[in-house]
Amino acid sequence: MSVTGTLYQARPRSSRVLSFLLLGLAVALIAATPFLPNYHVRVINSLLIYILLGIGLNIVIGYAGLLDLGFVAFYAVGAYSYALLASPQLGLHLPFLLILAVAAMLGALTGILLGIPVLRLRGDYLAIVTLGFGEIIRIIVNNLDWLTGGPKGIARLDKASFAGIEMARPIEIFWLLLVTVVVVGTVVWRLERSILGKGWAAIREDQDAARGIGINTTNAKLAAFATSATIGSIAGVIFAASQRFVSPESFTLQESILIVLVIVIGGIGNILGIVVGAAILILLPEVLRQFAEWRILFLGLLMIFLIIVRPGGIVPRSFGPDKLIRGLFGK
Amino acid sequence: MTLAFQNLRKQYGDVVAIDDVSANFAPGMIHGIIGPNGAGKSTLINMTAGSYTVSGGSISLDGKRLVRLKKYEIANSGVSRTYQNIRLFDQMTALENLEVCFYPREVAGTLKEVLWPPYASARHARRREKCLEILRFFDLQGYADAEAGSLPYGRQRMLEIARALVCNPRVLLLDEPAAGLNHHETTELTAKLAALRSPERVMIVVEHDMDLVMTLCDNIIVMHHGKLLFHGTPAEVQASSDVQLAYLGTANDIDDIRAAAQDRRAQLGIRARRRS
Repeated sequence: MSVTGTLYQARPRSSRVLSFLLLGLAVALIAATPFLPNYHVRVINSLLIYILLGIGLNIVIGYAGLLDLGFVAFYAVGAYSYALLASPQLGLHLPFLLILAVAAMLGALTGILLGIPVLRLRGDYLAIVTLGFGEIIRIIVNNLDWLTGGPKGIARLDKASFAGIEMARPIEIFWLLLVTVVVVGTVVWRLERSILGKGWAAIREDQDAARGIGINTTNAKLAAFATSATIGSIAGVIFAASQRFVSPESFTLQESILIVLVIVIGGIGNILGIVVGAAILILLPEVLRQFAEWRILFLGLLMIFLIIVRPGGIVPRSFGPDKLIRGLFGK
Repeated sequence: MTLAFQNLRKQYGDVVAIDDVSANFAPGMIHGIIGPNGAGKSTLINMTAGSYTVSGGSISLDGKRLVRLKKYEIANSGVSRTYQNIRLFDQMTALENLEVCFYPREVAGTLKEVLWPPYASARHARRREKCLEILRFFDLQGYADAEAGSLPYGRQRMLEIARALVCNPRVLLLDEPAAGLNHHETTELTAKLAALRSPERVMIVVEHDMDLVMTLCDNIIVMHHGKLLFHGTPAEVQASSDVQLAYLGTANDIDDIRAAAQDRRAQLGIRARRRS
């Protein structure tokens, strides 16, 4: 990782070219999306949702170094918040933005609730407990028939609307997601560079030494869990609004693992890495649709290959958004 | 204005690691703690910094009891330390290793830092300036943007001391700062540490390098089997027969050790080297 880091430093021009290429690619993709058929737009939407989820989970895994395998629980909290507050299920039809705010707070609260019992755990033990937590939420949702509709799920959710504009068609959801990803991505990136972000990094590197310089690790970790869960919950709300149907099937352990893979393959601790990781893991299965039976095998091989060639993920930690911006604007 | 141990005790099951140690550490001085391996030197440091719990007695700083506080609270009361085995934040840059020390004072403003860019850049600049100044003092400015884990060993030792200084601590605990350093680096370290002496600061150095201890320290505590054996100036310590006994044993002991070593060499078939 450090080797590629110095390479980029040694060749600012190539970093500059790369920055412009990436920006150009992103702009072209965004500009082309309105002209794509609905099916393709849906795939891009799902890509954006995974980017959002990746950005959220990355706070806990990439920044604070805590392996969380139950992230999907917060995604479910958001999705079911929308489903219950904007559907005939309880006869409630609250406005989209209000639900978004409620879900964000509920997400933060669940994040803290999960955080408190696992404060002392790290590594494998933390992974197992969070994995259990994810399953608990799914099983509760699956069995609480009177509230969540059980395995049948909740259907006929309201269309999301905001300031009189309805957002139901895939392309409308696309714009909503794009704005959310850009806003959340910017906030999280600034958070990473803030003093709290540095504190998380210190906890990741050496928890005990972090305490030794006066960091209240309990609060810092709870802040990480809460922020991360809030983003997961927001992603859940938009997911529910775009599907207009939720069921426990969308929130299995496999989903949690997929989000972890997005981070690990793209590049731990790096928002640009998450974009790349999500692109590979969401788009590749679509590209390989003809070889349906072989898809998982391809993915498996790809992962083995990547882990051997680039154990730190495709994008090095050193090539983050700051490098990109510096490449674009000189300096 | 002192750091004080009162009847301090540390016990692991039946093993008493620190036995009834009382001492006062005055500010403005450098205090050395020496003693044979296992005498309890590092245990004293670890208890003061809150890394180990205290089994009995008390530690206080300016009359404020530190014993019940959490480790981060002790750090925020002005006690800073380095570790026997270097513990830097390896994947962060040298500069970031120092900057993160502003966390306790500045974390409350995180939201403003995230949402209001001018405030963030002003803060970043101030942190950076202060930390670069400390790096320059340790001649580490050239490494500011290098990952801490990639620095040469001797520089890592220096960086750890630099990190401990960012918050301008009232108590600076150095656990074997010269361990693993070569002669040149040790000389450099001695000079830097001497320059850190300040009227408000209590400095405590646990060290095996006697040259460093005798040159640097104003006051020395000698630990032996968890007890405080001797307390005095470097000259008094060097003159004390008790200390010599603890470190080297009696003359008879030394003869015994020589004899045992000779036996062992004979058994292993190693011939004593002859001078040519």
